[in-house]
Parts: sequence; structure tokens; C-alpha cells
Amino acid sequence: MSETTLRGKVAVIGIGISPVGKVPGRSPLWLAADASKKALADAGLEKSVVDGVLSCHAFASPFHRFSVALSEYFGIQPTFSNTLQVSGATAATMFNIGAAAIQGGLAKVILLTAGDSLMTGLTPEMALRSMTESRDQQYEMPYGIPVANTFAMTAHRHMREFGTTAEQLAEVAVVSRRHASRTPGAQQTAPITIDDVLNSGWVTTPYHKLDCSLISDGGAAFILTSAEHAKELGIVNPIYILGGGECYTHEHIFLMPSLTSTGAVMSSRNAYAMAGYGPKDMHIAGIYDCFTGTVIMMLEDLGFCPKGEGGRFVADGHMTYGGQIPSNTHGGLLSFAHPGMPGSLFHFYEVIAQLRGQCGDRQVAGAQLGLVHSLGAGYATNATTVLGTENVL
Amino acid sequence: MTGNDRASEKPIPSPDADSAQLWRGLRDGVLLLQHCDKCRHVQYYQQGMCRQCGAEDIRHRPACGRGKVHSFSVVHRAPGPAFKDDVPYAVLLVDLEEGPRMISTFTGGPPEDVTFDLNVTLVVEISGDGTALPRFRRS
Repeated sequence: MSETTLRGKVAVIGIGISPVGKVPGRSPLWLAADASKKALADAGLEKSVVDGVLSCHAFASPFHRFSVALSEYFGIQPTFSNTLQVSGATAATMFNIGAAAIQGGLAKVILLTAGDSLMTGLTPEMALRSMTESRDQQYEMPYGIPVANTFAMTAHRHMREFGTTAEQLAEVAVVSRRHASRTPGAQQTAPITIDDVLNSGWVTTPYHKLDCSLISDGGAAFILTSAEHAKELGIVNPIYILGGGECYTHEHIFLMPSLTSTGAVMSSRNAYAMAGYGPKDMHIAGIYDCFTGTVIMMLEDLGFCPKGEGGRFVADGHMTYGGQIPSNTHGGLLSFAHPGMPGSLFHFYEVIAQLRGQCGDRQVAGAQLGLVHSLGAGYATNATTVLGTENVL
Repeated sequence: MTGNDRASEKPIPSPDADSAQLWRGLRDGVLLLQHCDKCRHVQYYQQGMCRQCGAEDIRHRPACGRGKVHSFSVVHRAPGPAFKDDVPYAVLLVDLEEGPRMISTFTGGPPEDVTFDLNVTLVVEISGDGTALPRFRRS
């Protein structure tokens, strides 16, 4: 690991989200710009102070340089910008890179945003295809591999090696739905049971429909600046980036070093080391939950429980209130919303709101330290960010 | 060509500069693996240098065709119209006897026949469009 550190140098001073779920008649650029307006208003800033923009690709948008198109749409001319692409892990990398850019002097105030309309901007068939096409066209695509399949094979192997059960997978969906029921604006809020999940029909074994995340519209945005500038601006409750880590272990699923242990082990280890805190210190987590089994494997790889015990950990109530690490308290990709790239930014929005103490009846009491883990492409990409309040600097 | 036209057809692999030999081999009914002359690493997929040591002295040798199922998932909801008539089908991660792991699908029986550690044998299947794909059947 590098000798230099991002720890505590950069703060998140504004957060915003667009309407999520089914948002017809709104483009990915509008969703990102709407969230951006709200994030700036939350920070008490005008758009003219933004000199950096980080974003990522949107499936329902024709723009290759989404961050550049967004700047034009939003009426700003930044002097630092990039459109990042490491699939689902992009969200956490945006925070890590944004923090590095600010610390390195490339920008002073960064708008970090994403928007997409997978639900109404694309047909479901196109949405699915847009994601399957990210698999290798020679070695993977000819076999008809849906987006869920690579993740399903890892979960299946986890069941084989550790005795993880279908009911334990389903519990993740049940808990996430319960969390979403307390989150204003969440896409799916009707309570579900383990039996509902097991009877929801196969997608690709061992995953049923309700083991899979949603398809949604939505956008999110954040304002980042240096800790010093946050103070100059008089920001009341800045949330600091304490650590960041990433890991890229493979491109093709058949070259994943182990189907049951992922790059999240390394990305989180590096993030914890930078932060000076470990998994036991975290009060809240946002864990990429494209599928139920993903959460179980990540609870292990992020260090919240030993390898192989994720299923029992979830069944024993440790990913919810009163448990060891309340996770995805907004409902996650499984129940809050999953518009593709912006999906994992909602985990950031929730964890930051929790650290600010703004979550009302779903507030995790006394939350000071939180982690967000983003991942993608059949665990090819992993990125972790550790966040904290002024008290834990 | 519109998106819908493409969605109704199965993706046809187009060989690149690194992989032409693999697809030629498959048309002749063999799966070629790359053996590094320098470090003895055996690799799949095909590329212009050894992933382990970077050497370019790579020899293509036919795989013996024997393997074991490391993991699998039976697809019930097809990824687009092109695969709708095929469901349910089992996607496999197969550990080849020579070492490399590859992704493929099960053939020659219902997907329920697939289990962890099942011994499988390579079958090169030619589809209607002339594409030769390596698949696996129960040994």
C-alpha cells in the first residue's frame, strides 16, 4: 500500500437523489441533474463553484462521455472530469478517485453523479441485453449467460462448500424488503417472506426472481471538497472519507481465482488500513446487493463474519437493527432501487444520511463509522470506501 | 440492423488476432489449449502471450476433453429471445484435466443430470449458423 493517505482529507458536504423506481419521461441526464441540484442545495452551494465532475456510463443514454454531457446539460464547465467504468464497482471508485483528485489539487469542489432509466428508458429485454453484452462475446456470450448467471454460479459453489441454504439467501431479500418499507420513495415496500422468495420462480439456479435486484430509474449526486474548504464553508456535518481500496482479480468468470472468496477481501483490507479502523468498528454498511448471495459472501469478505458463516450470520439477524452490522437500511438494490450504475450510489446516500443522523425511524443509533462496498461484473471489480463523522477522525 | 434483430440471434463469436487458432481448431473438432514452452503454464482462453510469464513461445495442443464440473447454474429465464427455446439449460464451469477452467453449457441430457464434481467430456457442436462451440456431456 501507498505511504500517502486520503484519510480525513476530503469530506462529503452535499447529497441528493432523484425520484427512484418508475420515473417515466425522464432521461438519465435529467435524473443525474435533478439529484445534482439537490446535492448542491443540501451543501448550500451554487453550481458555479463546481470545478470537477465525475460520473459513469448510462445504458439508456447515447452519450459516451456522460460526465461531459451532464456538465453541458447542467450548465457548467468543469476543469476536471471523467466518465468511469468498472461496472458495479464504479460508485466506490468515484469516491476514491474524487478524494484523490481533490487532495492532488485537480479540483476543489467535485460533483459526483450518475443517472439511468433502466425501467422506463429501455425495455426489460434491452435492459437485460445491455448487461449481458458486457460479457466477452467470444468466450462467454455464445452460451447464453444472463446477468445473474455468473453470480449464481458463485452462490451455488458457496452453498456446496459451506452449506449455505436457499432459506438463508432468501432471508437477505426479506430483510432488505423490511428495510425498504421504512424508506420514503423506495420502489418495493410490500413485506415478503422466505416462502415468497422460494416460490417466486427460478431465474437461474439457485436464484429465484426475488433473489435478484430490481430494475429501476433513478439518479444520485454528491458534493465533495477538502476538509479545510468544508470548514471554510461552515458545513455543519461533513462526512469524511477515511479510507478507500479497490481490487480487480479477473475479467472472465472462469479466471476468477476462487468462486467463494473475492477481491473484496483485499479492497476492504486496504480501505480499513487507510482508515485505521476494522470491520468490528463499523456501525453501518452499504453492501452491493445485486443478488441475495452477494450480500452473504460480502459480509464474509468484508470481515464482518468468518468465511462460510455468512448464511448463518444473516439468519441470526446480524445484518439488521440490533445485529452486528445493520446493512442496506434503505432496502438496497433488492428493494429500494437498482437503475444500474446509480444503484450503489444509493448505498452511499443512505450510509452518509445515517452518519449525519438524518434517517428518522430507520436511524441506526449513534452511527459514526460506515462502509460502502461496490462490486460488479461477476466479482471482477471490487471497491470499498470507509466513511466517518468528525468524531472519529 | 436494429437491436431487436440482433436480440433474436445468438451471438456469433468473431475470432480476434489472438484467438483465430482456437476457432479453427474447434471447426476441426478439437479444443486447443495454449502450453507455454518457457514456464509450462497451460491456459484458456487464447492470447498472444503467456499470462504467467509473458513468453510468446506458446504451443497449441488439443485438450484431452476430460473435465469435472466445479459449479453450475440452470438458466430458466433466457437472456433475450435468442435463447428462449433453449431453457432450461445448465451453464457449467468445468475444470479441464490439463488445469484451466472454462465456461460452457451441458449437452446430451436434461440439466437436472448436472451435479457438482460430475465428470464430463468435451463435445464440439456445430450450430445452424456454422459456429463450432465446445460443450460438455456426462462422461
